[in-house]
Amino acid sequence: MIVTKGLTRQFSPRRGSEIVAVDHLNLEIQRGEIFGLLGPNGAGKTTTVRMLSCLIAPSSGEAHVGGQAVGQDDRQIRRIVGLLTESPGLYEKLDAYTNLAFYANLYEVQDVERQVKRYLDMLGLWGRHREPVVGFSKGMKQKLAIARALIHEPQVLYLDEPTAALDPEAAKTVRDFVEELKVEGRTILLCTHNLDEAERLCDRIAVLKTRLIAVDTPSNLRRRIFGRRAQVRLRQVTPEMVDAVRALPSVHGVEQADSQLYISLDDPDAATPLIVRRLVELGGEIQQVTEQTHSLEETYLSLIKEAQ
Amino acid sequence: MNKIWLIVRKEWREVSRDKMILWTSLLLPLLFVGMTIGTVYFMQRTAASNPAAAMDDASEMNIDQLMLLPEFAGMDPFTIMIVLLVNQFLLYYLLLPLMIPMFVAVYSIIGEKQQRTLEPLLATPISVIELLTGKMLAGVIPATVLTWASYGVTILLAYFLTTPEILRVMLSPVWLLSIFLLAPLLSVTAVTVGVIISSRVNDVRLAEQLGGTLVLPLVAITIPIMMGKLLMSGEMIALASLAVALLDVALLYVGVQLFQRETILTRWK
Repeated sequence: MIVTKGLTRQFSPRRGSEIVAVDHLNLEIQRGEIFGLLGPNGAGKTTTVRMLSCLIAPSSGEAHVGGQAVGQDDRQIRRIVGLLTESPGLYEKLDAYTNLAFYANLYEVQDVERQVKRYLDMLGLWGRHREPVVGFSKGMKQKLAIARALIHEPQVLYLDEPTAALDPEAAKTVRDFVEELKVEGRTILLCTHNLDEAERLCDRIAVLKTRLIAVDTPSNLRRRIFGRRAQVRLRQVTPEMVDAVRALPSVHGVEQADSQLYISLDDPDAATPLIVRRLVELGGEIQQVTEQTHSLEETYLSLIKEAQ
Repeated sequence: MNKIWLIVRKEWREVSRDKMILWTSLLLPLLFVGMTIGTVYFMQRTAASNPAAAMDDASEMNIDQLMLLPEFAGMDPFTIMIVLLVNQFLLYYLLLPLMIPMFVAVYSIIGEKQQRTLEPLLATPISVIELLTGKMLAGVIPATVLTWASYGVTILLAYFLTTPEILRVMLSPVWLLSIFLLAPLLSVTAVTVGVIISSRVNDVRLAEQLGGTLVLPLVAITIPIMMGKLLMSGEMIALASLAVALLDVALLYVGVQLFQRETILTRWK
């Protein structure tokens, strides 16, 4: 649904100086996928979204959205894309209905009244549709901005920090709504700093820091960085146990910390029964066996550190 | 619905919720009509009650030389003084198309910047020309309509409250060309300058102050007109209209260059 090849964008803030915001970005996002774009401030996430929304032109490289080429079929791309910017960007003196109806008309929605009511209803704002937006809470404004991004039923949705600055309850409402959108089969590109959110919502994640550092599913990224480890807690660990486990096939290494063994291996599902059997044979009294997991935050920080 | 018209309607909806702009836009025309007709009416009444004193006042303005000109043939010094005054008021009517669109343009674009509404708006399938045209028309249409309406009301009141000579001056080519040709062109100047200023400034008041300098040449020109040193003619207004039209073309070129999606998002302050 979204393909970029060598997508690059440079800015010249002053004559003679150039800043590369996005450098040779190659992505392929499938239809119906929720794709997370992670990266520190200034990593090029917003610039990428702006290029894919045909708001700014790439300096080099190419991008296609829904089969249309960025830079050539811009008007067509804008019709199939919905954009939620970092700040809601609503006309605060106008009411919620007028805000949505204005955008519905710009997108040439057929039945504006029905569509506006549908989304205001869906997001629980219909009861206040004639109130000026200035009186809305942050969460309500964000919901209205999401409704605006969806009013023309776009195939592709760009969400830039959709839950930033929201309280936990409002953030949960927004996340739940994004999950519902996934069920509808829309392709979503989610820029976020919230790693829990990315883990919960995204099928795949790209870590960006001007250049693409890594792209994969959250679990694959974790494995790629930290490998897989089993954690075994025993009443007592002997040197023979450590050596015996180390000698087992598919075990890469064993570390001991007090009465715990941390065992690096390829396939915990296959290797764990062998490890358990061997330890029991050696008289080990096993209290707990778990797979050691790393958070996406640890994975992300490790990737960013590697990139530096 | 036409996208330009959508933008115009949205701008008007927003402006109508700003009481300051709304009342300023409505009170200015009333003020100018009141000043014009009121001043002429009361000067004529004063002159009628004391003709000798009125003639003395007029004579002090060295109007004798003007009496020799064909424009003032057959007029007494007092009537010439009133005509000069009325022509000076014409310049006030030209302030309307300079001030009202400036308020609207500045409010509209800086308002969009402050509310951060430009990015989602630019992400829609609207062209920047449609967007710019909509924003400009949102200022030009009310300014032109208010100027024409003020002129219409002035003519109506002048018919009932002043003399045929005054009415004739107000229906002269100078007034007609000014109101129906120069005024719309000036409103385009004002709105374009408003767009250009708004692209560099984030404060509505500062933008209005900067844009306010646009009225200075017009205000400055009232002095020689009042003193009878500069006599307006139809040719002069036609030439001024041509100059303003050329200025508008140049300003529009700059405005269109500034009003590109990429420029707005990456270079506007």
